Amino acid sequence: MKNVHNWEPKIVAFLCNWCSYAGADLAGVSRTQYPTNIRVIRVPCSGRVSPFYIIKTLQNGIDGVLVSGCHPGDCHYISGNLIARRKFALLKSFLEYIGIEPGRVHFSWVSAAEGARFAQIIEKVTREVKKLGPIRKIVKKI
Amino acid sequence: MEEIEEKIKDTVKKLFKENKIDIFIGYSEGTLPLRATPCFITKPDNIEKLVWNSYCFNNLAVYLPRFFLTQHQKKDARLPKIGILAKGCDGRSIVGLIKEHQIPRENLYIMGIPCEGMIDIKKIQDAGCKMQEVEIVGAKEKDNKIVIIDEDKKEIELKKEELLADVCMRCQYTAPVIYDVLIGEEKRKTKEEERAAIIEEFEKKPLEERWKYFQEQVSKCIRCYACRQACPNCYCKECFAEQTKPRWIGATNDISDVMFYQIGRIFHQAGRCVDCGACVRACPMGVDLRVFTYKLVKDVKEFFEYEAGVSLKEDPPLATFKSDDQQEFITEP
Amino acid sequence: MENVKLKIIKKKDVLNFLDSLKKEYNILVPMEKNGDIRFSKFNSGQDIPWDYRNTKISPKEIFFPQAETLFYFEAGASAPSNRSRVSIPINESKDSTSETNNEQRTTNYLIFGIRPCDAQAFSLLDKLFGGDDFQEPYYLKKRKQATIVSLACNKPQITCFCTSLKGKPDNEEGSDVILFDLEENILVKPITKRGEEFIENLNIWFKEAKKSDVEKKNKLMDLSLKKIRSGVNLKNIKEKLDEAFDISFWNEIHQKCLGCGICTYLCPTCHCFDITDEIDSGAGASPTPEGKRVRCWDSCMFPLFTLHASGHNPRPTYKERMRQRIMHKFNYCPENFKEIFCVGCGRCIRNCPVNIDLREMLISIDLS
Repeated sequence: MKNVHNWEPKIVAFLCNWCSYAGADLAGVSRTQYPTNIRVIRVPCSGRVSPFYIIKTLQNGIDGVLVSGCHPGDCHYISGNLIARRKFALLKSFLEYIGIEPGRVHFSWVSAAEGARFAQIIEKVTREVKKLGPIRKIVKKI
Repeated sequence: MEEIEEKIKDTVKKLFKENKIDIFIGYSEGTLPLRATPCFITKPDNIEKLVWNSYCFNNLAVYLPRFFLTQHQKKDARLPKIGILAKGCDGRSIVGLIKEHQIPRENLYIMGIPCEGMIDIKKIQDAGCKMQEVEIVGAKEKDNKIVIIDEDKKEIELKKEELLADVCMRCQYTAPVIYDVLIGEEKRKTKEEERAAIIEEFEKKPLEERWKYFQEQVSKCIRCYACRQACPNCYCKECFAEQTKPRWIGATNDISDVMFYQIGRIFHQAGRCVDCGACVRACPMGVDLRVFTYKLVKDVKEFFEYEAGVSLKEDPPLATFKSDDQQEFITEP
Repeated sequence: MENVKLKIIKKKDVLNFLDSLKKEYNILVPMEKNGDIRFSKFNSGQDIPWDYRNTKISPKEIFFPQAETLFYFEAGASAPSNRSRVSIPINESKDSTSETNNEQRTTNYLIFGIRPCDAQAFSLLDKLFGGDDFQEPYYLKKRKQATIVSLACNKPQITCFCTSLKGKPDNEEGSDVILFDLEENILVKPITKRGEEFIENLNIWFKEAKKSDVEKKNKLMDLSLKKIRSGVNLKNIKEKLDEAFDISFWNEIHQKCLGCGICTYLCPTCHCFDITDEIDSGAGASPTPEGKRVRCWDSCMFPLFTLHASGHNPRPTYKERMRQRIMHKFNYCPENFKEIFCVGCGRCIRNCPVNIDLREMLISIDLS
């Protein structure tokens, strides 16, 4: 049983290689301090992230998910993030509709030059997920 | 109804005579009261079997992709010409399948039929004929009434409009949007607000209540996959639910896996679901799917101004984008 | 038939009777759930639906649930002594019919109010799971300690055709005790030794049956038998099917089939299953890698049922699968177990989304 006072959320962040991952890298190189709750999974493009990755992550017991890509118009693959924007709009609306707390799933645009902004987004996401407590819904128990 | 039935039979006879089709898919009488069953006609002698009534609820478009599977074609084999009786919902499914290149338009002869709605057997139970108490041995359709005969030969008269399935009561396109011939006249209804009403009501409930309802409904699922098999849009050769590399979900009725399956299947229909109701009707356990499937249909209409199955020319919403697509959901620091 | 063995209990006393047995038995009764009837744990508050026709899912799910854990294991470098530790839950039944996970689990089942066709199905499954060649421990552990009290049918449905398959409204095969609903009273007839002992031990609840009760029962059963009008000639069906592998009938009958699993999942005698491992890698919910091996229902009607690892599928289309289903039930099982694996309950007919009717198919085979 997790000790509620010491509990830290686990958050998985899918970062697109060209912008968001580079932005996170910049934050690191600049020695910016930000919460250490995230585990990064590097993907070529935010458009690569299937809704199934997000649902599977929650099912595995991870408390929060962040998907971050290039700003619209700046995608390395021209339109990957634009298609993803439509997908994620529907997914976010649907997950909230069925009753999964909206604060658990986040989407953001972070460019390669925005190290400080990346750190701020991580702070916000961690804060919101921590408020919600450990995930119970949809978690699969063996 | 009888008139339309005769017209259907005459048209099919003509099509066979003129060699325009190899096979015709329609409905014939079911072996149980209040049922019709899909019927595949290959010989003109069997045309008499065709019927048209208020029990013809199956979506026939689900049978089309199987005739055009590439693995079963020998090289240079001639693709069959298929005639199909299409209500509005079937027609919308056909549009979706053509758009996704699952069936070639040239090999279809669509016999459109304006539909006045199909009855939902579950509603007959709600109208006082609970399945465990009343055994229905026969049924007759008379004008706008359905007359049910029980095992004690008692006749119960019910109004047809009270028995129509929810999806039929709010149907907006009662005739297919593309067809080769239309039997009867089209009577369009415009009740868009009513369709969205169930979603809006559900949205007003608090988050935990919505989750509780979702959990309740989904826990009834026994993973029979009837919803997936009945849906014309679910034509994948290997469904994500049965994939092993990677394994998304197990095959049991574990509640978490069932939730993933339902969310996954419904979300795979985003921008493609035509709201035909085949999944709801097929489900043996009575899972209330429409509250969830229609949410996506509504969102797609609101966010992207797109309705599936209505136009062959429009691009599928998740294969395209606009520079001003809404992004209020994006997290800003 | 000796009147001496027959007993009577008032219908309104039955709930108290079952209440008194709650500590000793895990009692399962048909209960209203989600608008339909399903076998669930007996609840003192709820009445038995005496007039119910039949459950949607067959009671095979009691002994052969949709998902059954065969064993748990710990794995990975963190497991003690670097070997997988395996724990087998045969002694705990985490079945779908018990509602709480923490209660004292008794494996003494009392299945109360099952229909004779479903009880007959248990005797068929016994031949399969408890045959000479192999004894299936998970099914048998529950089955061997179960007392089956069936309820004869006063009102068969139009989809019932048990009489074509060695059944009838008061069939005794597979039941330990059979009950007859005489409106105010329930007539009780023990059948097997276990059934006799069960009634003997609880004698205080019963009175001797009177001649008038027996006459009433006979009358009801006569009427009930007459109501089963649906029938199929299954004489020599096995021999007929021996010659029927290549008949043209199979080319048409499969066309409507959607390939869902409804007929097989609801059928009381269908028994095909899949075994898979489910593993939690330790990254999420559990602290160490652990897993379990589960057995779950599978269906020969699913397109992937016979898909080989090479990609070849010996039953590639709906035609082969439909043929296999009929052959298995009416030809291969008679070959292997000397019994047709169908009891005529009619669930597949009633619940098929496209109204494929098994009776129609069997009649067509008979004619061709």
